[in-house]
Amino acid sequence: MWREPVTIALAALRSHKLRSFLTLFGIIISVFTLIGVMSIIEGLNAYIAEKVANFGTNVFYVTRYPIITNAKDWLEAQRRNPKMTVEDMEYLQERMTLAEYVGAQDWREKDVRAGKESIDDVGIRGTTPTMVHISTEKVAAGRYIAESDYERRAMVAFVGTEVTERLFPTVDPLGKTIYIDGLPFEIVGVAERVGSVLGQTQDNFVFIPLTTLNKIWGEGPAFDTGPWIGIKCSSPDVMAQAMDEARTLMRARRRQKYDDKDAFGLIASESLTNLWDQIFGGIAAVAVGVVSVFLVVGGIVIMNIMLASVTERTREIGIRKSLGARRRDILLQFLVEASVLSTVGGLVGVLAALGATALVVATTPVPMRTPLGAVILSLAVSTAVGLFFGIYPAQKAARLDPVIALRAE
Amino acid sequence: MALLIKTENLWKTYDMGEAVAVQALRGVNLEIPRNEYAAIMGPSGSGKSTLMNLIGCLDTPTDGRYWLNEQLVSEMDDDQLAFIRNKEIGFVFQTFNLLPRATALHNVELPLIYNGTPAAERRERAAEALAAVDMADRVNHRPNELSGGERQRVAIARALVNRPSLLLADEPTGNLDSQTSAEIMNFLERLHNQGNTILLVTHEHDIAAHAHRIIKIRDGQIESDERTR
Ligand SMILES: Nc1ncnc2c1ncn2[C@@H]1O[C@H](COP(=O)(O)OP(=O)(O)O)[C@@H](O)[C@H]1O
Ligand SMILES: [Mg+2]
Repeated sequence: MWREPVTIALAALRSHKLRSFLTLFGIIISVFTLIGVMSIIEGLNAYIAEKVANFGTNVFYVTRYPIITNAKDWLEAQRRNPKMTVEDMEYLQERMTLAEYVGAQDWREKDVRAGKESIDDVGIRGTTPTMVHISTEKVAAGRYIAESDYERRAMVAFVGTEVTERLFPTVDPLGKTIYIDGLPFEIVGVAERVGSVLGQTQDNFVFIPLTTLNKIWGEGPAFDTGPWIGIKCSSPDVMAQAMDEARTLMRARRRQKYDDKDAFGLIASESLTNLWDQIFGGIAAVAVGVVSVFLVVGGIVIMNIMLASVTERTREIGIRKSLGARRRDILLQFLVEASVLSTVGGLVGVLAALGATALVVATTPVPMRTPLGAVILSLAVSTAVGLFFGIYPAQKAARLDPVIALRAE
Repeated sequence: MALLIKTENLWKTYDMGEAVAVQALRGVNLEIPRNEYAAIMGPSGSGKSTLMNLIGCLDTPTDGRYWLNEQLVSEMDDDQLAFIRNKEIGFVFQTFNLLPRATALHNVELPLIYNGTPAAERRERAAEALAAVDMADRVNHRPNELSGGERQRVAIARALVNRPSLLLADEPTGNLDSQTSAEIMNFLERLHNQGNTILLVTHEHDIAAHAHRIIKIRDGQIESDERTR
């Protein structure tokens, strides 16, 4: 009872390859999109989780801008929020009671050279000594930027492994001199390897004292954000209170009125997660929309093909009825056929999506991971679409009058 | 002898909407006992096929009653009629009506599929039925690989595979040359001798001459009904 309609559907698919492909295009595209989007979301989830882990525990940042997702807020914030300064950091350091450490970091991109080797556009991060407790880079050899370096505006550097491996592949980099923008800095420490995220190495950095950075390159153009102020709390329990304290202090310092918006940003790993949830929601909504439209289109095409098939095979239906097929036998036959068609479409879509995902992962840094659930869901959905859109043609077939059907052609 | 078929005042009217309704059958009373071999004759449009469709449970009368094997089939619903067609009736059509993409064996298996016969038994019985019409060596051929006479023999095998009470043949030789026709008629003769009840529709006198009773209809009514053997 099952085998026959399945065989008929598969034989029909095989004998009209191009037509079948076109028929199933809607389903194929929907499943492709569904799996693609779910793979991207899954991959990004992993990426975000890693990013959040890199943020440092019990750490938040006070910055010029909060996380902004639209242009209007951006323009307003640009007018309202002054650039952050080292004085802001000192102000918070003096007054905050709930902060264990307060630090700041600002950055430029400069070329770094040693001997004949040079690296373009390395992240040069001017930092306070306290940042060693706040950000996640750890010392592997030598030392971090020290208090005395900071006060003396010393020409010293704490560097990432990407820098040492490229500039000093064979010798111990400690004590060696690198030239940043042509100016000599002594390497006093090397960081532990961080690894790469999204195919981008995270070890291509040079830390120098923030005071040195400001002395050499000034405070940067007005549109710059200025330094990020990092604040670390002793425990997660006081995070919320500490953020409130920082907000109150900064509002006082900015002389803000009760109902003014904050003229600065407060960013915790939570805000990253929230941002991600927003993006995620956006992607998911668009994907659901696109996939639904394609599925409906795909379903309608299948319905049309099945209607044509019913017309084409009216006589066959009459013959079957004359031999004792009941309505439900005919109904089942065409329903099975429609769902076999759409399931094959789903399978093709799954294979195409798996192929594309593998290709993307191999050739680009975009993180993608196909969850098994996505594959199962897609196949279930495509079978369901075939069943649903097969109902009308199948009913039409089942209701045919045997005498009229036998006379067809 | 028990009656296999009994009809009482059968009417079939086709409602033609705006136009005048067509009265294809106008009060047909017919009694056919078991193991009869009867031919229904009449000019084109006289209602032969309409009567066959009613007797074959493919259609229901507008008025009147019909008993098959003492069951009142004129009152049955679609699914019950399908069951009766499957169990009691074997059709042989002028145009063979085989499934073009299926093998001879599969075509003969179809009635068994619809009464839930297990696959192995199905195949065995279909092969036997094909052997009975001398088609044992053609089981895996498709209709377009068979001659007209061979196709009709496959159709006869299919009609008989479920051991029906009644074999209905509507112009079974209409698409065949005279030699093949004679061959098919010999098969029907043989089946009758084995105890089958056969109802044959034809407008050819030499074909009708094989039957033992000739029922002539005209304008939807029985004109004459005589035993010839
Ligand atoms: N489905 C139908 N709708 C309308 N008229 C029909 C239909 N089927 C048969 N008829 C009419 O009923 C009459 C009997 O037809 P039929 O039984 O096919 O005749 P025969 O088989 O003797 O040639 C004819 O006039 C035919 O046109
Ligand atoms: Mg006719």
